[in-house]
Amino acid sequence: MTIAEAINTAIIGKGLMIGGGFIGPGIGIGLIGGNYLQAVGRNPEAAKFLGQALIFVAIVELFGLLAFASIFIVK
Amino acid sequence: MISFFASTGPIIHVAPGQVMEILGVPISNSILYGWICLIALVVALIIVARRITIKPKGGLIQFIEIAVTFMGNFVESSFEDKKIGRKYVPYFVTLFCFILFNNWLGLLPFVGEGFTSNGFPLLRPFTGDLNATFAMGLFTMVLVYYASVKESGGIKRYLRHFFVGSPKNPLFLLIGLLEMLTDLTRVISLSLRLFLNVAIGEIVIAVFSYLGHFLAPITALPFTLIEVFIGALQAYIFAVLGTMYLAVAVNHSAEHLNEPDGKRVQRIKSQTKVATSEV
Repeated sequence: MTIAEAINTAIIGKGLMIGGGFIGPGIGIGLIGGNYLQAVGRNPEAAKFLGQALIFVAIVELFGLLAFASIFIVK
Repeated sequence: MISFFASTGPIIHVAPGQVMEILGVPISNSILYGWICLIALVVALIIVARRITIKPKGGLIQFIEIAVTFMGNFVESSFEDKKIGRKYVPYFVTLFCFILFNNWLGLLPFVGEGFTSNGFPLLRPFTGDLNATFAMGLFTMVLVYYASVKESGGIKRYLRHFFVGSPKNPLFLLIGLLEMLTDLTRVISLSLRLFLNVAIGEIVIAVFSYLGHFLAPITALPFTLIEVFIGALQAYIFAVLGTMYLAVAVNHSAEHLNEPDGKRVQRIKSQTKVATSEV
């Protein structure tokens, strides 16, 4: 009996996929938000660029969502 | 017909299902709800347009006015030439309103597992279907390519903007071809972003209302509120990214419209020389 038969490896795979897949976007969104706040702190007029910051958040977020979506492929 | 969340686990549908057939044409649940939302949107906007006044009266009209003015101003101001920008305002504002209404109406409680037919939920948010978002992304990008070719005056002039220098140089040729290839992934990234945000939002709400059992309204509420925000954000981003792709191509073309081939490289070289000398 191999390990793959004894343990449901799909669940481990799904867990790793979600855990690993959200690290990158988490760091990315943190960097965007942190840098935005830093820019606003230095120059309060930069607060109007929130819309642009949110666009980059959405671009980064896509990769996390791709990781989330791919857990439905693992059987 | 009305079923509560099953106890064996959250019911998750990633793909839309066929719920009925009209004259041999299969109708999926997402397209059914998309048509319902579209009719509701058109009727609501016709009523609003009839009652609009110069002095704002308040109520729902004001919010729609704010949304339309905000997006219209944004689209117009992202083009260097306001006259060109004004031509594309209607399309992007329509896109924004359509996606926004579909996202928000898809969060209503009866959409999803409320009613079922053929084993599939009868209603499903239109933007939670990859076919729908892919169609929207494809249509937007076709418009962007058509408009940028038209505004830059000929397909040859448009294609030249992908190359840094003369395409006869193998390095510039390779870079230009790579640039074109990355351009084509925009359709996929636009459609996947919207689809995944909406579909995964539905899944998250389903999971948390399953975890809550009889307290489902309380546990699902915060995620529904997040989805309201994300729905608005994604509608904004879809319209803004479409505008940006178009604006970059059009503004770029206007800049170099009258320049002969070789001068661009020289100009870029002289610019970099100035920049380095300043440092």
